[in-house]
Amino acid sequence: MKPEAFLQLDRVIHEKGRLAIMSMLAASPELSFTEMRDALSMTDGNLTTHIRTLQEAGYVSVAKTFQNNRPHTACSLTAAGKKAFTSYINLLEQIIQQNKPK
Amino acid sequence: MDSNLAAEHLQVIRTLMERSAVYRRALAPVMIFAGALGLSAAVLGWKLGIVQPKLFVGYWYGVAAVGVIGAFMMVRRQAWQQSEPFWSPPTRRVAQAVLPPLTAGFLLGVMAVAATKGTFMAANAGGSRFIVLALPLAWIVLYGCALHASGFFMTRGMRLFGWVVISGGCAAFSFLLMTSQPPSDQALLNLSHGLMGFFFGALHLAYGVYLYFTEPRRNET
Repeated sequence: MKPEAFLQLDRVIHEKGRLAIMSMLAASPELSFTEMRDALSMTDGNLTTHIRTLQEAGYVSVAKTFQNNRPHTACSLTAAGKKAFTSYINLLEQIIQQNKPK
Repeated sequence: MDSNLAAEHLQVIRTLMERSAVYRRALAPVMIFAGALGLSAAVLGWKLGIVQPKLFVGYWYGVAAVGVIGAFMMVRRQAWQQSEPFWSPPTRRVAQAVLPPLTAGFLLGVMAVAATKGTFMAANAGGSRFIVLALPLAWIVLYGCALHASGFFMTRGMRLFGWVVISGGCAAFSFLLMTSQPPSDQALLNLSHGLMGFFFGALHLAYGVYLYFTEPRRNET
């Protein structure tokens, strides 16, 4: 097996929690903090930390607004985030292809 | 990373992506349309004095058909305006969730019409009276189940709305079973169309208005 593909995997995305966040955001134009927290069974602190890491990498944008007089945090993938996620998926597929018995 | 782990990762990603694809089209216009239609149909049915089981079922099936076509057009228009496919995975999941209870409701109506000929129900006036009163309640409870099932792929409020419809339908059913006297013709007319108007009209209208003021303006699937 060639190790190149594995080495190319994005370390920011290749973490269980962040990968889950990226996967959910890739399928939805926007998700609220609560929706993600409930779906992924994460604590507020854990989710905040992962979102911050993704935000710092430029993969996720966070919009804070008010809905029905309540604070509402919505997250979405940025163009760079979409590109990074697609590359990550392609690399995983490449790894599978490389190891397929010929 | 070996290929098994990579495949496992891809499977997890696929599952999470499917789970997060929630139906997000604006529900307020659809609910307001359904409510206005249900309410006006109930008033019209009551004014026309439709109480015979066959006519009653036919009339409300016609109203349901108009409702389904109208809702379909509205959702399709929203999808078209946002340049998105109409038959998206969330739409498909919602359709799959509501199909069993709605089919059961439809079949119950067909069976009720069939029971108006040559059965013990048809032999006495009480039988057909029972059909016209029990059928709307069965429809209401089944429709509530459909709403609740769809709530797993929609906004959480839909599940609560489903529960309201189910509980209301069951409460009305127990009230009907406890009555000692058969209802008069006028009471039958008032009750049957009144129940339909309240549950399929007023409740939808109220929920639609609530959604209109609370639903985020940008709605996407």
